[in-house]
Amino acid sequence: MTGAPIVKAQMADVPAVRRPAKRSFVGRLLVALTVLFLTGFVVLPVVNVFSQALSNGIGAYVDTFYVPAPNPEAKLTLPERQKLSAERGSAELTWSSIRLSCVIAAIVVPLNIVFGLAAAWAITKFRFKGRVLLVTLIDLPFSISPVIAGLIFVLLFGRGGIFGAWATNLEWPDPTSLTWQGFAGHWWPLAFARTYDGIIFTPLAMVLATIFVTFPFVARSLIPLMDVQGSEEELAALSLGAGGWRTFRTVTLANIKWGLLYGAILCTARAFGEFGAVSVVSGHIDINDTMPLRIEKLWNDYDMQAAFSVATLLAGLAIVTLIIKSVVEWKTNRTQVAEPLEMEVKSDEHRSAEDQQILRLLAGAQGREP
Amino acid sequence: MARVTRVIPGLPLTLGYTLFYLSLLVLLPLAGLVVKTTQLSWHEFAATIVDPVVVAAFKLTVGASVIAAAINGVFGLIVAWVLVREPFFGRRFFDALIDLPFALPTAVAGITFSALYLKDGWIGGLGDHIVAAANLLAAYGGHPDLFSPGALSWLDLPFSNTNTGIVIVLVFVGLPFVVRTVQPVLQEWDAEFEQAAHSLGANGWTTFRRVIFPEIFPAWLSGVALAFARAIGEYGSVIFIASNIPGKSQIVPLQIVIKLDEFQTPQATAMGVVLLVIALLVLLGINGIEFWARHRQLAVA
Amino acid sequence: MRRISKSYGSSQALKDVSLKVNSGELVALLGPSGSGKTTLLRIIAGIEDADPGSGEVLFDDVDVSSTNVGKRRIGFVFQHYALFKQMSVFENIAFGLRSKPWRERPSKAVIRAKVEELLALVQLQNFARRYPNQLSGGQRQRVALARALAVEPQVLLLDEPFGALDATVRRELRRWLRKLHDTIKVTTIFVTHDQEEALEVADRIAVMNAGKIEQFASPEEVYERPANPFVFRFLGNYNLFHARHDGAPHPHDETETAAPVTFVRPHDVEILRENPDGSAIAAKVTHIGFAGAAVNIELVRHDDQQSIDAELTNQAYRDLGLKQDDEVFIRLRNSHSFYEDYAI
Repeated sequence: MTGAPIVKAQMADVPAVRRPAKRSFVGRLLVALTVLFLTGFVVLPVVNVFSQALSNGIGAYVDTFYVPAPNPEAKLTLPERQKLSAERGSAELTWSSIRLSCVIAAIVVPLNIVFGLAAAWAITKFRFKGRVLLVTLIDLPFSISPVIAGLIFVLLFGRGGIFGAWATNLEWPDPTSLTWQGFAGHWWPLAFARTYDGIIFTPLAMVLATIFVTFPFVARSLIPLMDVQGSEEELAALSLGAGGWRTFRTVTLANIKWGLLYGAILCTARAFGEFGAVSVVSGHIDINDTMPLRIEKLWNDYDMQAAFSVATLLAGLAIVTLIIKSVVEWKTNRTQVAEPLEMEVKSDEHRSAEDQQILRLLAGAQGREP
Repeated sequence: MARVTRVIPGLPLTLGYTLFYLSLLVLLPLAGLVVKTTQLSWHEFAATIVDPVVVAAFKLTVGASVIAAAINGVFGLIVAWVLVREPFFGRRFFDALIDLPFALPTAVAGITFSALYLKDGWIGGLGDHIVAAANLLAAYGGHPDLFSPGALSWLDLPFSNTNTGIVIVLVFVGLPFVVRTVQPVLQEWDAEFEQAAHSLGANGWTTFRRVIFPEIFPAWLSGVALAFARAIGEYGSVIFIASNIPGKSQIVPLQIVIKLDEFQTPQATAMGVVLLVIALLVLLGINGIEFWARHRQLAVA
Repeated sequence: MRRISKSYGSSQALKDVSLKVNSGELVALLGPSGSGKTTLLRIIAGIEDADPGSGEVLFDDVDVSSTNVGKRRIGFVFQHYALFKQMSVFENIAFGLRSKPWRERPSKAVIRAKVEELLALVQLQNFARRYPNQLSGGQRQRVALARALAVEPQVLLLDEPFGALDATVRRELRRWLRKLHDTIKVTTIFVTHDQEEALEVADRIAVMNAGKIEQFASPEEVYERPANPFVFRFLGNYNLFHARHDGAPHPHDETETAAPVTFVRPHDVEILRENPDGSAIAAKVTHIGFAGAAVNIELVRHDDQQSIDAELTNQAYRDLGLKQDDEVFIRLRNSHSFYEDYAI
């Protein structure tokens, strides 16, 4: 899943070596072993998520996210009232975690898309010193433990951190708390209802940590794709008088849209799913919970069913990611089969040693992901 | 600097932005780690690292990662081989599933594995579940309680809250690495070599050992190394299935998190640096493997 | 265009190349791979830059060296066409017009009319809605040409226009291109490594080798009066004679003091049954290769055992009734001599 649909696409559709109709005993054994292994290690865990979430029925599943307010006329005993209010509180926290996850993804994914496009453009369209180094740098977060990704931001902005003195005194408004306060007594009708102190243990640090963990995805799914496609279409557009921006928009973007979609969805899935790095900088405060952090808290409260209910959303996102990946592979495959000429030109021999090194970095470290 | 600078526009903008973004979000934080590390006194560093709880954590992390990488080495190879060479019903489905450990959030993986391997989980109580199902069927046939409840208890695999459980989730998170590095090499591999070997009288196992395995060895080895590197840094999934007892079943990343929660930042930094150095050494090793493989290929060619 | 140099690192791809193309002309840049012809074309187009300070590209005496590729008013057809995969044929051709700044941009109706006119010109009226991957190689080539012509370029530049096509389509398109050029009269420069192609299509041919133009002349002149051995060798098969061997081939060479090398085309080797005036060379037929309209004969000279290729028409071959191992005489109808130091 390197995000290298092109590289992968080649392997996905090469037909398997035709075996004689009668399979050998060893062959059967290996197939059985594979199916058993993948069922036990991949299929069962995913099915289990949904099964556990629905173990107490669909009502309990819905209750994880939404508990209706009690009918004011209903006569409830005190324990009933307490239970209901606890359930409502829990559902509210779950919703808040979903909201925060969405906000973080909404900030992180566009930033990483812009970065990915810029990096892929610079790396594939130009030759400059340090290109390979740049690719290695982009790859770096894949080899770093998520906990360390959180740690480095604590070391920068935490108490006693390098920018600690500045960061801990920083007060900044929560942009999501922008509210209408009216003109009465104010010269400006909008105000922030909430401010944050410092960076660590606030959503800002969580955004930074998430960016660190997810920024390579878009770039890595685009670089191999754009490298294989070369620059001829861009040159043709430029020679026809199109400007740089128009060339990028109408030619480049049209050619990479599937790879971009895949990189973006992967980046989104990881932004929603990041646990370690975010956990370290969240301070375990309830309002700082993202969905994975909420899962942890529910789990630690022995509310397995609720934990799994939240997990179904993330597992669903993972499944969507895999489906999009398959579609993208199918799409890129199809255009490749239809245009054998184009492929021929850009075969390896036409590539510089440096390009090959970059492709190797990307392909060799396939899925060097945290 | 660039060969076609003037023609294709946008180098200053895109490269500038890329470098800016990278510096701000990657280089600066990493530089912070380096600076903080150099500020640690040697004494502080050593005291953290030789603490028995920390030593135990490192032993557990590295040990479990090695075992998980080894299991992935064997099964990843089998899975890759079957996906490339043995067409069977549902091959595409399973092929797509290989990437699931990348896409599934670690916390979700952690809780679902933990639940599966609980005593009454699907796998933790596998034997009991089979007995119960068989008895249910037998009851329809008029033979209630055909099997005694503990008949298949050897099939129960209650690994939650054990260190075996840690290995199991690490196998899960490392699964794609070996498969996805070996698969393309197997795909490119020309079956003619194999047929040639067969025609020379070699049997299947000999052919694999002498002809195929040497060919895929570099890719396989770097896949195993990647799985290992990933495993030692893994945090999210492990903490749910491990019992997390200090000195017994706490992994290094968890130790780091605990130290951070206790505001013992220098200790956390020291452990983080060691973990990072191990990961980077493995990475260096992988590059070494790739370099060696290329040279070997060149030498053959 | 004059005095263009271009180097990549230590290797110089072009060495002070100057070329003047008249407007309305169809010029071929012919040379082996690595001779710098594509580099030259890309410099003319503005896709690559000449070395700083090395010379300039002039269109109608206007220096365009520092003009951006998009503003040079050139039409460039790439070797592999570089059609926009995600756009239909219509959109491909309309792209240049739609890319103009809005002040100069024609109205939609004008663009439509212009594209349809171009489609008719390249005989692809019914393909407007197709996508490039639904077209054959020859059709793609024509779309690329129409796309380049849409912006009404001053100069049309074609990079190996027939390189990626198979032999039959190639021959057809070659004639078509020639006819097209006769209709639209746009100054055209195309790059090729195929001598036949250059000879058949171009008004003038610039033969290039190792970053230099060896000869720039009409096809007849290049073929009949090659400027140097390289041009001779590159334009077809040849026999080589060193004058120091006795029985030197051509009368007027005998006056020269330096040792010249003589080139003779196989079809200029005449085979005789008898030696009428004693000047012909005795040889033996070693192999007969029947190639349809022509017959290739391999001979070996009796005096120095040098082998010679001859090409006869089918008719001449039958008239002679040649067989393997026949003893014959040969005479050279037409030959070209160059001095040794010129030889490669």
